[in-house]
Amino acid sequence: MKHSRDTKSTLLRVLLYVFVILVVLITLYPYFVMFTTAAKSRAEIYATKGTLLPVHWLWQNFKDIWTLAPLSRYFINSLVVAGGSTLIAIVCGIPAAYALARMKFKGKKIFLGIVIISQMFAPVVLLVGIYKIMSTFGMTDSLVGLVFINAAFNQAFAIWLLRGTFISISPEMEQAATVDGCGKVSALIRILLPVAAPGIVTALIFVFINAWNEYTVALTLISTDVFKPLTVGITIFNGYNMVEWQYLFASSLFATVPVIILFILIEKHLVGGLTSGGVKG
Amino acid sequence: MKRKIALAMVLAMTATMAQPVLAADDKTTLDVIISQYGTQTQAWWSQFEKDFEAENSDIDLNIEIVSWNDLYTKVNTLVANNNAPDILNIDVLADYVADDLLMPATEYASEDLQSKFFPSFWEASTIDDTVYALPILASCRALFYNKDILEEAGATVPTTWAEVQDAAKKIKDKFGDDVYPWGIDMTTDEGQAAFSYYTWNNGGGFVDENGDWALNSDKNVEALNFALGLVNDGYTNSDPANETRYDLQDMFGAGKVAMMIGPNNIPTYLSDGGYDINYDVTTIPANEGCESVAMGVCDRLEVFKDDSAEDQEARTAAITKFFDFFYDDTRYADYMVYEGFLPTTQTAADLLAKEDDTYSSWIDILQSCNFYPATKTEWADVKQGVIEVEQNALLGDDVQTLLDDLQADIAG
Amino acid sequence: MKKKKPLAAVEPYLWLLPSILLMTIFILFPIFEVFRTSMSEVSKAGLIKGFCGFDNFAKVLRGSTFKLVLKNTLVWTIAVVVLSTVFGFILALVLNNKFRFRKAVRAIVVFPWATSLIIQAGVWKFIIDKDYGALNTLLLKLGLISSPVNWTPTPEAYFAWEIFVGIFVTVPFVTFCVLSGLQSIDNSYYEAATVDGANYWQKLFKITLPLVKSSLTVSTVLNIIYVFNSFPIIWTITKGDPASRTDTLVTYLYKLAFYKGKSGEAAAVSVIGFLILCACASVYMVLSLRKEEED
Repeated sequence: MKHSRDTKSTLLRVLLYVFVILVVLITLYPYFVMFTTAAKSRAEIYATKGTLLPVHWLWQNFKDIWTLAPLSRYFINSLVVAGGSTLIAIVCGIPAAYALARMKFKGKKIFLGIVIISQMFAPVVLLVGIYKIMSTFGMTDSLVGLVFINAAFNQAFAIWLLRGTFISISPEMEQAATVDGCGKVSALIRILLPVAAPGIVTALIFVFINAWNEYTVALTLISTDVFKPLTVGITIFNGYNMVEWQYLFASSLFATVPVIILFILIEKHLVGGLTSGGVKG
Repeated sequence: MKRKIALAMVLAMTATMAQPVLAADDKTTLDVIISQYGTQTQAWWSQFEKDFEAENSDIDLNIEIVSWNDLYTKVNTLVANNNAPDILNIDVLADYVADDLLMPATEYASEDLQSKFFPSFWEASTIDDTVYALPILASCRALFYNKDILEEAGATVPTTWAEVQDAAKKIKDKFGDDVYPWGIDMTTDEGQAAFSYYTWNNGGGFVDENGDWALNSDKNVEALNFALGLVNDGYTNSDPANETRYDLQDMFGAGKVAMMIGPNNIPTYLSDGGYDINYDVTTIPANEGCESVAMGVCDRLEVFKDDSAEDQEARTAAITKFFDFFYDDTRYADYMVYEGFLPTTQTAADLLAKEDDTYSSWIDILQSCNFYPATKTEWADVKQGVIEVEQNALLGDDVQTLLDDLQADIAG
Repeated sequence: MKKKKPLAAVEPYLWLLPSILLMTIFILFPIFEVFRTSMSEVSKAGLIKGFCGFDNFAKVLRGSTFKLVLKNTLVWTIAVVVLSTVFGFILALVLNNKFRFRKAVRAIVVFPWATSLIIQAGVWKFIIDKDYGALNTLLLKLGLISSPVNWTPTPEAYFAWEIFVGIFVTVPFVTFCVLSGLQSIDNSYYEAATVDGANYWQKLFKITLPLVKSSLTVSTVLNIIYVFNSFPIIWTITKGDPASRTDTLVTYLYKLAFYKGKSGEAAAVSVIGFLILCACASVYMVLSLRKEEED
């Protein structure tokens, strides 16, 4: 009996590894293609006899992208937009989610409905209206405008996710703290937020990634080259005459790096952030 | 980490805030949108901006380069918000004129400049006897063919449709699946070009001799059926509805496509890409008894009215200066060489012909080219309409029925 | 925000205020503009010329293309959401096990999400191309095929690939949401269940599923909306070609607005899409909020 259980668990273990390896390979494949293509010449990319790895590694391509476009400037812009909108989306989202999770009041359902409705139009549809509101505020060609737009577009997710997290945490600890003379705000900050860390981290990553990769609105709002975020800036490699696959892929790889780093930095909070015992059954 | 992000934010925001303050003095500001013709378009115009502002300290130029993929989205949004740029580089025209958004060209183009253009290009943007745009550049389409492949297959360079079929058959027999004898592109990007190549070379076209839409003429039906015949016989690239002309150009460079109709800057494109093939160029094949018609493409520079400008005179004067500066023979000729296009002014053409013979022959062809009827109001619908016709026909629908429907739709 | 008696009634709204301001100004106003445009006569250049009632809606619904596009949109949304939810959930369960390099694997799994959709779609378009695609090269080198395969011989094949790419980029998000839900489950539940003699499947359905339900529903609802409105994948790979066979509502209305100069009809299409989503969402809202109140 014991023996067969061991075999079974070894088998499961092997299956697990096979599955994980497959997933990893398929996930990494496009990046492998991007990387190898980025180091090829256009003639080699389209050659009749395709090559897996470049015959001549054109490392020059990875250097060229920096002189062909002000990538570091675009990079900083993207960082500002993604960082700023994440901050605003979370700072506005936490109190709203708290009220929705812990308080009873009229119009709660309507508000939740509106939050969902705010997501129901694709950004391409809203462009004209967004441009109008931005020119009212004089924010058409500025990063500040992009920060607010991205924060607003990601409110829905932040609120729903945080509300879900708060609801799943028992209110007893905060109530105890309030009885101890601690205000609602400080109970929220000192007691609820640390416990809700994984949810907050999820929302944070989500907003950051969305804002980092936003394209359509930035394209329409920004007209000065030095204010362009990466997504818009690298379209220079996708022009009238050609798609410069090698440059496009080289710069895209570079654009992916910050998100990966952010994820690795934040992942441990996701794993260990929750104190046990606080979960409502 | 967080502190650094915050710091970067503050820095960038300060930079953002600081920017508009600079424009507060008495300068005339001109917003210019230039469409992107290549990876280096931005670099040329940055230099242009510097040179221009150095010479005209009272004018502040804001030049933005926008890729063709996004140009219509951007411009449409700006126009809908009454915030069109002062100067716009684009191909379409009629829709803006219909809404009375554009200034007549005679109001801002100096007489000196007007006399420089080839008459046909100066008139190319005429609607109701008024010229509404300046031609920024032109290109000319012809047949490019891979000499080695044709020779190896024992095929001659085709001048008629029958010869196209014959050459295609020989190439297919010789190379099988390794080479597509004939490149064809019926994509949303540029399917209207395919329509032109075949109908014009069969004596048909978008309009009849009176200039009225004649999309379902017998000649057009015959022409499209010929093109589809090439696809169905397996003589073309496998996916005409999705493979763009740029895909074809690259496959031509790689020796996978033997013949294709393309613009005069293909040589630049091929050498930039590092391709090394033995090719030549000739006129577009026509049906028996029809004369070969080359296709010309012309992009425009348009000036939008701006009722909110405080000093209209200063604005117009600045725009005049902009164009005089841009169309300066040496500078303009330099831009044409830089992007691989053909000039629209006689003076720049003369200058280029002196340096390079190929220019004079292309410019000669250009004089006899047909152009899209872009000044007609329904052009946008026609363009998308013929593309849909082509793609439905590729899926097996009947060309005559499709074109009848389109004609009924457009001409009412 | 200090607690004062008269303020008690408005207090919840004060907590909501920043969020309300943000969304009203930057989203609800543009949405209002869409509704206005959908009932206006709009010139080809994009200027509003006047009120025209439901003319735009009538024009859109009259065309035969709209039905095709609507069908595509439903197939696209259901296929992508259902398959990526199932697969993302399974992946999260697997990644929640302890194994070597778990940390690295978890980081790798989010890659597709971390790269912008336009780029992801661009790479896949490049991979599946018949003539110079990387997939054919790979399979040829491995000796699995002897001549290049046309992976996209029909519009349906293209659409299937687009759905695949849609799933590929959506899975990480689902996995991520479920994983964060799994983290918050206290181990003691499982220990107790094991003592009671529950097997793997019982634990999965009795403990895991109910506890990650909230994060799973959030991710599913949002996914339905995002996928329904997704633009870059289809636009990059086929632009809805040939002849709208792979168009969804968003790519269709994009062409209407920016290629055909019919902004009014485009707005009408998006309002119709909105109504469809609203109908789905209200069903969900009624069900889930009622349940919450029962709890």
